[in-house]
Amino acid sequence: MLKITNLKVELEEESKEILKGINLEIESGSVHAIMGPNGSGKSTLSYVLSGKKGYKVTNGEVELAGEPILELEPEERAASGLFLAFQYPVEIPGVGNMTFLRTAMNSQRKFRGEAELSAADFLKLVREKAKELKIDAEMLKRPVNVGFSGGEKKRNEILQMALLEPKMCVLDETDSGLDVDAMKLVADGVNALRDKGRSFLVITHYQRLLDHIKPDFVHIMADGRIIKSGGPELALQVENNGYSDLLAEVQ
Amino acid sequence: MSLSQKLSDDLNQRILPLTLPKNNNKKRCEALKRIKAMGLPSRRDEYWKYTNPRLFNDLFSNKNHVLGSDDKLNFDSIGCFKLIFNDGVFDQSSSDSLEGEELELTQISDFSGDTAKWLEAFYGSLEEAGQHPINRPLAKLNTAFATDGLAIRVTGEITKPINIVYNETSNRSDVNLHHCIKLEAGSSLTLIESGSVSTRLNKVTELEVAQDSSFHHVCAQTNNLDKIVSTHLFARLWENSVLKSFTLTTNGALTRNEHVVELKGNNGVSHLAAACIGEGRFHHDDTVFVTHEGTDCESRQVFKKVLKKGAFGIFQGKILVKPGAQKTDGYQISQSLLLDDDSQFLAKPELEIYADDVVCSHGSTSGAIDEEGLFYLRARGVPEDTAKDLLILAFLAEALAEIEDTNISELLLTYLERSL
Amino acid sequence: MTSLEANDSVKDGVDQETVEAVRNVGGHYKYGWETEIEMDYAPKGLDSDIVRLISAKNNEPEWMTNWRLDAFSRWEKMEEPNWAMVDYPKIDYQDIYYYASPKSMAEKPKSLDDVDPKLLETYKKLGIPLKEQLILAGVEGAEEANLDERKVAVDAVFDSVSIGTTFKDELRKAGVIFCSISEAITDYPELVKKYLGSVVPVTDNYFATLNSAVFSDGSFVYIPEGVRCPMELSTYFRINAENTGQFERTLIIAEKGSYVSYLEGCTAPKRDTNQLHAAIVELVILEDAEVKYSTVQNWYPGDENGLGGIYNFVTKRADCRGDRSKVMWTQVETGSAVTWKYPSCILRGNESQGEFYSIAIANNFQQADTGTKMIHLGKNTKSRIVSKGISAGNAQNTYRGLVTMHPKATSSRNYTQCDSLLIGNKCGAHTVPYIEVKNNSSRVEHEATTSKVDDDQLFYCRQRGVNEEDAVALVVNGFCKEVLQALPMEFAMEAQQLVAISLEGSVG
Repeated sequence: MLKITNLKVELEEESKEILKGINLEIESGSVHAIMGPNGSGKSTLSYVLSGKKGYKVTNGEVELAGEPILELEPEERAASGLFLAFQYPVEIPGVGNMTFLRTAMNSQRKFRGEAELSAADFLKLVREKAKELKIDAEMLKRPVNVGFSGGEKKRNEILQMALLEPKMCVLDETDSGLDVDAMKLVADGVNALRDKGRSFLVITHYQRLLDHIKPDFVHIMADGRIIKSGGPELALQVENNGYSDLLAEVQ
Repeated sequence: MSLSQKLSDDLNQRILPLTLPKNNNKKRCEALKRIKAMGLPSRRDEYWKYTNPRLFNDLFSNKNHVLGSDDKLNFDSIGCFKLIFNDGVFDQSSSDSLEGEELELTQISDFSGDTAKWLEAFYGSLEEAGQHPINRPLAKLNTAFATDGLAIRVTGEITKPINIVYNETSNRSDVNLHHCIKLEAGSSLTLIESGSVSTRLNKVTELEVAQDSSFHHVCAQTNNLDKIVSTHLFARLWENSVLKSFTLTTNGALTRNEHVVELKGNNGVSHLAAACIGEGRFHHDDTVFVTHEGTDCESRQVFKKVLKKGAFGIFQGKILVKPGAQKTDGYQISQSLLLDDDSQFLAKPELEIYADDVVCSHGSTSGAIDEEGLFYLRARGVPEDTAKDLLILAFLAEALAEIEDTNISELLLTYLERSL
Repeated sequence: MTSLEANDSVKDGVDQETVEAVRNVGGHYKYGWETEIEMDYAPKGLDSDIVRLISAKNNEPEWMTNWRLDAFSRWEKMEEPNWAMVDYPKIDYQDIYYYASPKSMAEKPKSLDDVDPKLLETYKKLGIPLKEQLILAGVEGAEEANLDERKVAVDAVFDSVSIGTTFKDELRKAGVIFCSISEAITDYPELVKKYLGSVVPVTDNYFATLNSAVFSDGSFVYIPEGVRCPMELSTYFRINAENTGQFERTLIIAEKGSYVSYLEGCTAPKRDTNQLHAAIVELVILEDAEVKYSTVQNWYPGDENGLGGIYNFVTKRADCRGDRSKVMWTQVETGSAVTWKYPSCILRGNESQGEFYSIAIANNFQQADTGTKMIHLGKNTKSRIVSKGISAGNAQNTYRGLVTMHPKATSSRNYTQCDSLLIGNKCGAHTVPYIEVKNNSSRVEHEATTSKVDDDQLFYCRQRGVNEEDAVALVVNGFCKEVLQALPMEFAMEAQQLVAISLEGSVG
């Protein structure tokens, strides 16, 4: 589903290399986790995948379902099935959540040559999905993420994911700022979306999220590289011993 | 008589008693020519809308004025080099020696091409640059006729603040004072000005802060209830330089302080702040013009006025962001506290922005003392008058907080507490 | 979990419709066509004979002719103001037609049935009446309205003359007078004499004086004491003829305890030359009365190189004469090459209230200098200013405002919020507020911010699949929300579309 080949990335403004050759292949339907200490380049990877400005790809290739995506605009990547659940979902004052969701959804459908959803169908769909995520109607009426609690923001991200039905979901530190209950709610939402046609890349600092979203593979990232890959047991190793042992091992 | 004829006559009358000093005569002649072309300020000028320039324009009235308050503000406890002026004339013999410090000190009244070469080109140049896009005739008048002042060229870090102490002995003086300050790359200086120069004062300070330098400035306008003061600070800042200037005004009949700052280099910082308290025949005008030319510059203006018994407070402030001055961070706040119905606050905070990647904001408020705050304090047992004073000091504190050296801000706060 | 109301789908649909409408228009000024109608022109240029001719064309009584001539002689001695931050070539006032009227109007129609069908077609193209369309499209607030009773009475002004007013009879039953100002001069001379020029004096400013001399038509509204106007009133102005100045004049009188909501829309065809529009709107608001005045100004803004477009020099003022009177100005200014306009409130009555909500969008080479004046004279008066300025392309956009608290206006309040958004690095956004506080029990707060469209917001939208231009339109509509909400629903959708259309080509 997602294939990253020797990806090297610099910050555009100061030529500082953040990603120093990432290789990663995610099969359709599998869940991969990337763990790593702060500053290891985890969030940069999610931004580069989704096409945020400010980064320069100096080497490598990224393919989504066999198609190269690095030349695509962010909205084109989104319409091709890439979804980023933001670590810090952006507040957009004055723009209603419903308006936003519907605009996004129909933009993607249109891009893919599909018919746009009617207001009634859209509403039905939103209601259904919102109910599953325990998102109340009041929240849907408010402007996008404005005045949302940390938990509400993250649930809103998952709601968008559920509506847009992406093929490749990147979850950037989705557990940050959440208490245990909120995390469980979010994880349940994600698990409900697990499907053999849909892959996940879960980026996280702590192992705790992986208790709820069980990964098939775990990668440890440090200083812009993946230094170790393994099964779920690798996450437990981090939980018990921290990153320092792993880092020392590599050095 | 036509309007232009009248303006020209007013100017001729104004300059009649003045003589053009001999030193740097060429610059002064140029300035005289320019002032003749622009004329004296008039109420028709957009930036004199709220302040009547008559007292600056008229022939100086030779009557006796009330001198000073008993409680003179001094900065002795800070530990400064003191430079003394008596009635607007530099008194070298009473002043501290600056030997060993990395600076060059020249008196404006006696410099010649031989003594301070840099000054020849410097004198009047920043003032002239500040005449665009708005004429500042009083500054031009000063450049032509200034009788004294200090030229300080700083080449390193000065170990103690310099305190210019103005003593006023005559009660009928009319002085044009002109300082030139140049900080060379990598230098720093804290300058404190205190005391009252004269009953009528026209002061111009030209300041250039070269890259990686910083200039901290505190000016206390106190000690003369009747004074009529016009000051201009023309500052030019280069890369990574810092200017922090604070002005306190506690009395005087008419004060107009103009700050004209050009942020020429990238990463410059300009903080301007002022606090004033005045009552009765007190008209206080802050006119500020900050131009952003370099990228990544920060400018802050914090202006606070406490007014009572018919006092007038004016604030005119403009942030101009020129094309290309990206990543500008501009903030401006002007606030007044009106203690009674006779006082007035007139403000014109402006933004003029030609670059898109900026964050600029300004705010302006005016009102009475916060009744809820007052009630809260009284409910805790604080007597009403004390509570009011506390709230007034709290209101001014945001401006005082702009002073880098907390010893100085605390000293000023103590002085304000005493004078309330 | 509360269930979603059925109307949510409708509500929400609006924005989608907007996006579609934007696509359909395809980046062109929507109202840029011209109607081919035989016109009756007065000779080009301006002198006292032209003033007399305009007066004669309207069959005006002598007092009115003299009023105009007086204004004209004063105007001749005045100078065009130059303090606004706008820059345009000198206007040759002798190179303009001051009167143009469709020939079919020479005999005034008795009812709309008599009007030239081409004119009606024009107005149909302009989307009048909008009501069914709007309700179907589901403008916000549509569900609150009783669909059967929701009506908008329209007075349409085509170049120099009013071509007809709808729902006249129904309004008359309620005691409301809604007609063209030329009819009012003939039919209600006492009212006109009493109020015309009483809010905007003849010599108020250069353009107001010019208007006083040559205004050809406009709307007149009188709401009697205690009457709540049974429907929204609306005027559509359209400049059609080339080289023609439009000088309409609107006078609204709200008697004690009355209420009216008034909408004004403006369009003009595409032309390479600049056209002058200098209008006056006077609102007289007596005790406990309330007037809402909304404008969507979409005059032709000129092309992307700054060629052509309307010079829009307008004086609008409300005089809240009575205690507890209220006025609310809402404007969406997206058109015109040059805009010079400051709808103002004189808060004379005690406890009177003035509000000003504004969106000003300037793209390409447009220049807008607009804002408001809040003159607080009465005690306990309140005012609120919310201004949203958007600059794109090479445009210059200035907010200019005055808030003054007179010594006797004790315990009054003003709150001003003035935000500017910049799109691209060749445009300018400027803020020039004047704040005058002359008593201490009043509180004035002014806040202004300037920034660019937030990159993170755009990226967030794009990550969800929304293209850049739509993302900008979405974010900008959000930025303007507070003002859009202040508009009556008749205009809300149109305004949202305009925001998107006006910004086309500003990104990328």
